[in-house]
Amino acid sequence: MVFSYNWLQSFFRKRLPAPEKLAELLELCAFEVEEVKRVGGDWLLDIDVLPNRAPDCFSHLGIARECAALTNSPIRKPSVSNGAGKFQTRDFVSVEVRDKDACPRYTAKVVTDVKVAPSPKWLKARLKSCGLRSINNVVDIANYVMLETGQPLHAFDSGKLAGNKIIVRFAKHNEKIVTLDEEKYDLDEDILVIADARSPVAIAGIKGGKLPEIDKKTKVVVLESASFNPRIIRKGSRKINLKTDASWRFEHGIDPNLTEFAINRAAFLIQKLAKGKVAKGLIDAYPNKVLPKRIKLDLDYTERLLGIKIPKREVIEILKSLEFKILNSKFNILTIEVPTFRLDLTIPEDLIEEVGRIYGYQNIRAVFPTVSLIPPKKNFSVFWEELTKNILKEAGFTEVYNYSYVSEEQIAIYQSNQHKSAVIELENPMSTEQRYLRPSLILNLLNNIQRNQRYTDEIKIFELGKIFRKTKNVEEAKQLTAAILGDEFYQLKGMVDLLLQKLGISNVWYDSYQSTPEDSKISMWHPKKCAEIKVDHEEIGFLGEISPKIIDHFKIDNRVVVFDIDFEKLQKLCSEETIYQPISKYPAAVRDLAVLVPRGTKVEEVLNKIEVAGGKLIRDVDLFDVYEGEELPEGKKNLAFHIIYQAENRTLASQEVDEIQNKIVKTLEQNPEWEVRK
Amino acid sequence: MPKINLKLLKKQAQREINRAGDLKFLNEIFKKYLGKRGELTLVLRSLERMPKAKRAKVGKEANELKTFLREKFEQKKFSFAKATEDKEEWIDVTRPGKKLTLGHLHPLTQVKRKVEEIFQAMGFSVVEGPEAENEWYNFDALNIPKDHPARDMWDTFYLKDGLLLRTHTTPVDARYMEKNNPPLRIITIGRCFRHEATDASHESNFYQIDGLMAGKDISVANFKAIIQEFFQRFFEKPVEIRMRPSYFPFTEPSFEVDMTCLVCGGKGCSACQQTGWMEMMGAGMMHPNVFKNSGLNPKNWQGFAFGMGLDRLTMMKYKINDIRLLYSGDLRFLKQF
Repeated sequence: MVFSYNWLQSFFRKRLPAPEKLAELLELCAFEVEEVKRVGGDWLLDIDVLPNRAPDCFSHLGIARECAALTNSPIRKPSVSNGAGKFQTRDFVSVEVRDKDACPRYTAKVVTDVKVAPSPKWLKARLKSCGLRSINNVVDIANYVMLETGQPLHAFDSGKLAGNKIIVRFAKHNEKIVTLDEEKYDLDEDILVIADARSPVAIAGIKGGKLPEIDKKTKVVVLESASFNPRIIRKGSRKINLKTDASWRFEHGIDPNLTEFAINRAAFLIQKLAKGKVAKGLIDAYPNKVLPKRIKLDLDYTERLLGIKIPKREVIEILKSLEFKILNSKFNILTIEVPTFRLDLTIPEDLIEEVGRIYGYQNIRAVFPTVSLIPPKKNFSVFWEELTKNILKEAGFTEVYNYSYVSEEQIAIYQSNQHKSAVIELENPMSTEQRYLRPSLILNLLNNIQRNQRYTDEIKIFELGKIFRKTKNVEEAKQLTAAILGDEFYQLKGMVDLLLQKLGISNVWYDSYQSTPEDSKISMWHPKKCAEIKVDHEEIGFLGEISPKIIDHFKIDNRVVVFDIDFEKLQKLCSEETIYQPISKYPAAVRDLAVLVPRGTKVEEVLNKIEVAGGKLIRDVDLFDVYEGEELPEGKKNLAFHIIYQAENRTLASQEVDEIQNKIVKTLEQNPEWEVRK
Repeated sequence: MPKINLKLLKKQAQREINRAGDLKFLNEIFKKYLGKRGELTLVLRSLERMPKAKRAKVGKEANELKTFLREKFEQKKFSFAKATEDKEEWIDVTRPGKKLTLGHLHPLTQVKRKVEEIFQAMGFSVVEGPEAENEWYNFDALNIPKDHPARDMWDTFYLKDGLLLRTHTTPVDARYMEKNNPPLRIITIGRCFRHEATDASHESNFYQIDGLMAGKDISVANFKAIIQEFFQRFFEKPVEIRMRPSYFPFTEPSFEVDMTCLVCGGKGCSACQQTGWMEMMGAGMMHPNVFKNSGLNPKNWQGFAFGMGLDRLTMMKYKINDIRLLYSGDLRFLKQF
């Protein structure tokens, strides 16, 4: 809110610090000041009043009270009128509040013989500085008093109130109102209104109606200064989608004890500026008077919480400067009475904040805590996550962070309609681009590839992040997904092997996946180039080429191979344990073996045969070449292995190795379609 | 047995070594004299069949000759190597090295690690919590009641299933306190969401660092020391912090925390709008209601909590001017880290 420096100054006899200086003081001890701007002979301070201080500081008087505490100068309260005219307020209007919870207080006052005219220059200028338009002297005064005291006021033309009645009630179904700015609103039972004997004349706490508007002919003004339930105003304002200066203030709560002062202040100004005569008496529907709160402040606790000892005398001075009453200060526990305008203060910690900020946080010295030396707990989930990222990085993969949302279009690619229920939709997405929570990291990684392929053809990326799915509840889980551009299935498979090995996971194997029609997520994959990654009997993820249809849809110019691993499962299998395997002192012997097999034969079948036939003297079998070409017979491929023989307790004689090698050859040739090449 | 004339052998060998024109030829000469069946080798082998007196004399001479010839060979070999080095072989050291491809960790990951490391060194445990959160932990438990304007401080994404996307990582504090009694020190860094338009400094998903320290007498002064130490270690500069009043429903008192401007060191410059300070985080002393809502007795415990943007720290550290780059997946950006 914008505050006028001159206006603030008008509450003080003593000079306030210069505008810039005052702004700095406010910033350190109260509120941030966005801007200090010189306008004519005034300075405007744009102050970010904290939301909990809206009740008392969304007004010049409130900021002046802060200035008073910070500069130790007394404040002069503005003049008010209690009415001295010959009429009585109750002769012109009666007030009926039907819901005391919705409207805890309603005060009304009448000013007669009013001359509605343009406002004086100074008043226009002050309103303008604070961003309000001048209407006429009566309406301007109501607004002026709101800016001054924080209490929204409303002025009705008494002659236009049917039955001379004001009724505070909830609107009826289908009731309508036209507001001062000629907008039409449909009301309902949730919206509190001010009505006359016939119909609503204002939306309570939000906006006045056109019907009893003050105009040039108005002679008798009924002023309203009321207190409304913040929740009801908030609800109503949201429902009809109308936010005003008044509704904003009522939403944040206002001291019910303020209504009287504000209405008297407005009456005084109307009398002064519009030649009105203030009627005697105040209509005041205020069944449950709000009394000041008492809070006990323990000075030992204050010291313990702030970490600094502030002398009792100084604490008392600070509290007094904020207009708090010290009821008892004999002991180390003070009894404080807090003025009702401080709606934000209810517990001792609230008072400690007041003491701390006025004392100045900059005066609190940094002190390291004295605590038991309890070492931090190791977080394994984070530990394995970081280790995984390191391994992938070292193997040449670059980490990306993508949005947690995916678009409607992406979801359509990902899943067929019958599975849409398994994804989680946002109630209020920013756009259709971000309508669903990502059920997989693959979709956004494909986007990354699509965007990067213009600049480079070497793309190896991964992401480790949360995915979301709906089972019975919303299920979120860490997922690890990597993608590589190009026909690189075996490179990525090598990556998975390396990763799992480094994470201490053995017994990894790959099972070709047979997709079933209802298993739609698998439709992301190329049906013939996809494997389940398994550790023992558990499936932990998939490795495969993305289906050409999808690649085409994402406008990617090359094949893409992806692994997609359930990180929650993976991290449970991780182990830091490594046991040293003694290195054999005896030399190893290497023999090569080439087998011609049908194209559809799996390497694993051949490997198994070699290992079984070879027995325990085989240390390793290494496939070093796979060849399919013109020179070979139709439908065949050539597999070439290095077989490494080694014993732990002796040097193998070449004769012994030859014997095993022959046994392997014989075993392989038992299959009529396999031919060992000699 | 051949007649042994070691002197002749020496002369002959020396002459041949000197004449040798290349390494291949030299190796052959070596073989001729010192190889498995080399002339001198044969002499040495024949020693054991000699009479004792002669054996000692010849043996000594033969071994001396062996040492002498080996030395000659080495010298000659070295002269060859030196000659090649001098004449033929050279490399262009200005040619670029062979490219090795390492991958890259995302800058947010790198900064997250650094933050965690500093806090872990001060005894803080790293904890995590869910991104899809319920109203209780995201708001109510943190003393942000329903239908209260304080909720407007957080623009929230709601899910059709009743949950919401957490607007901060503070709910993790409440979850942790439910299961663990003070004294405690935790730090949590995670993804958060705000329903707001995206621009160079705002993203609808971002990362927040949240910290909590609670005990019998953890104070504002302690907060100041811990956070000042954090910033000094993070930026590796002797920075100071200052606190200004603020409002968060879950802390009381609440602060806005500023740090000495890194650009001007506090003198005032355009980066800090001439104030000498940069806004870094929101913080405060945990509100008694939050302890209560987490099942702890606020009479027994007090402590501080703070929240800070990881994205902002990352952007400051690497001078990144647009937050959206962090979520772009652009390899031209990511490969710089």
